[in-house]
Amino acid sequence: MTTVTKRHALKLLGGAALAAPFAGALPAFAARESELNILCWEGYNSAQVLDPFRSAKSATVKAESLTNDPTMINRLRAGETKVWDLINVNNPWARKAMYPEGLIKPLPKAEFEPFFDKMLPQFKAPYRWAMSDDGKDLLGMAQRFGPYSFVVNTDKVSRKTAEEQGWELFNDPSLKGKYGILESDDWNVFNIFMIAGINPFKVHDAAEMATFGETAKKVFGGAKLVGDIAAMNQALVSGEIDLHMTGGTYSVSPARADGHPELRAVTPLKGPIDGKGGISWIEITSTVNNPNLSPLAAEFLKYVQDPKVAHTVAFAEGTFNPVAQMGNKACFDLFTKEELDAIQWDSLEEEMSRSAEYDIVPDYDKALEIMTSAKRTKG
Amino acid sequence: MDDEAGRVGSGAGLRSAPKTPPDLGLAAEATLPAARGGRGTAFRLSRGALCSLPVGLTLLLGFVAPLATVAAYAFATPKSFDVFRSFTLVNFAAIFDPANTVWQSFAWSLGLAVLTVVALAVVAYPIAWGLARSFGRWSGFISVLFVFPLFVSENVRLYGWTLFFLKNGVLDGTLKLVGGAGPEVLYTPGAILFGMVYVYLPFMLFPMTLGLAMVPKDLVEAARDLGASRLLIWREIELPLATPGVLIGMLLTFVLAVGAVAESKVLGGQSVIVITHDIEIAFTYAQNWPLGSALALLLTVIVGALSLTALAKLDLDRILGRR
Repeated sequence: MTTVTKRHALKLLGGAALAAPFAGALPAFAARESELNILCWEGYNSAQVLDPFRSAKSATVKAESLTNDPTMINRLRAGETKVWDLINVNNPWARKAMYPEGLIKPLPKAEFEPFFDKMLPQFKAPYRWAMSDDGKDLLGMAQRFGPYSFVVNTDKVSRKTAEEQGWELFNDPSLKGKYGILESDDWNVFNIFMIAGINPFKVHDAAEMATFGETAKKVFGGAKLVGDIAAMNQALVSGEIDLHMTGGTYSVSPARADGHPELRAVTPLKGPIDGKGGISWIEITSTVNNPNLSPLAAEFLKYVQDPKVAHTVAFAEGTFNPVAQMGNKACFDLFTKEELDAIQWDSLEEEMSRSAEYDIVPDYDKALEIMTSAKRTKG
Repeated sequence: MDDEAGRVGSGAGLRSAPKTPPDLGLAAEATLPAARGGRGTAFRLSRGALCSLPVGLTLLLGFVAPLATVAAYAFATPKSFDVFRSFTLVNFAAIFDPANTVWQSFAWSLGLAVLTVVALAVVAYPIAWGLARSFGRWSGFISVLFVFPLFVSENVRLYGWTLFFLKNGVLDGTLKLVGGAGPEVLYTPGAILFGMVYVYLPFMLFPMTLGLAMVPKDLVEAARDLGASRLLIWREIELPLATPGVLIGMLLTFVLAVGAVAESKVLGGQSVIVITHDIEIAFTYAQNWPLGSALALLLTVIVGALSLTALAKLDLDRILGRR
């Protein structure tokens, strides 16, 4: 039999009690020079991007990929600022949520602003979404971006028709049962507002919310399926559906690269956001307000600005996307004709100009609740 | 238990050690210091208690702690992370609000789970009977065939079925070659049910086979010799004696099926929203962990109550052959 004396037990308990207040502080004394943790959209977590950095820095780099911004932000809100060094989310979150809530910390401007000079023209410093509200602090670096509205099979719905009719396509009774909806509920909220002819990025009155609810019921009721990117592309290729909403270069590029140029992301010519018909996204990568931030965080942000690495990021596994670094000729020249076709480079500029930038919907919670209920009653 | 240990510990030598210490249990028992020649009162852990410590701790950390956290979150302020710092019933009030349609998700999950169990009972019974009675030396090989798919990710297997049922996919494409057309199966509740039956078949099959294997062959033969019909033998002997295994299979598949989400997403195209999907939305897009936790807790309570009711009818000792 094993015996633990009372004295021994008390000593252990006492020691634990004394150590407890310092338990959280212990990692603060741990060296993190060779360790980096990244919370990101997929792509930055690929071995192609991370392995060279790991080798060069002899570092342990862990990256976790998630598929929506709210989940990532919530991880920080729940206390994981101690875990992560970098967070990569879409444009409004750094400036409008994470920085005001103290979840991220600014970057040294002198070191990082010069990188913006080599980016595409619309990203030149001071790039709005990379800066704090007062324009004083640099909150992150821009890299991947793209228009994101809907995708059509141009053999079934011509590009011209799709651009001219825009969101009205989803109100067209003849297309009932012929379209899909990407499982991306935050973007679906935007899109249903767009189909209802309402600007999503403003506070909505009761009448607008009622219209939103009716539209959500109609749109989900007429959908053939709701699924992920793979399911959407598969359904488009097989002919199960002719188009799907919430989609863009990001979602369709793998299918285009795989030999289906007839599938095309479309941005409507006009729409309810100050006349703009589409919505675009821009990823901003920021340093987390980690009490023991790894010095490799800043190093990694510089590393992904390198033309070759930026090209790798653009074509990392999963989805293929344009990057802001394509403004640098050394980076642009690395893209082959096929790669440029996959990311619809031919119309990228005009489609971005027709798009409003992704923003936060002020009454998103209410809208999501209404939309989820509409989705549920579809069955 | 802690009180007992505390009292004993604070009064050295007040109580002597029991003559027959228990073999199991985490209770620390007191011994006379003189017995060990030590100065202080000692806590003694029996060998059984010591051996059960890793399991006990693992259960505590891996099962009780997360469950307690989820339960605590369920009573936290909505859309906050005030766990253990606030207490409110608002999340439950929101769920039970008559305007909330989340009951439909509960109904779909429980309904699909019940249908899955019924379908599996019908599908798995003949296979289990074959494995227990008639496949002979092929039983092992056939069992492996049913186990093998478990080594492949569930999502991959479900996507495989999508390719099978898809327009111009394996089924539709093949039928078109012979002048027909595939049925519209995908993205319907029927497809979800099919996926669940397919995925959970092994979990019904093996307990059921165990149950059927427990039926004494000589009892069946005696009944047959006495002139009982096949139906009578099945109804009066085979089924009652195999019931424990069948019930365990049903219970296992029901619990798994209630928690299923991939089938409704991949094969069902979200034609219906199951409760686990609602929980996922609450934790992700809605940024409302307390609401997600309240839904999860409610689901746990419902499934727990149903499972305990079923378990009360089972004699585990008998099934495990201890008596």
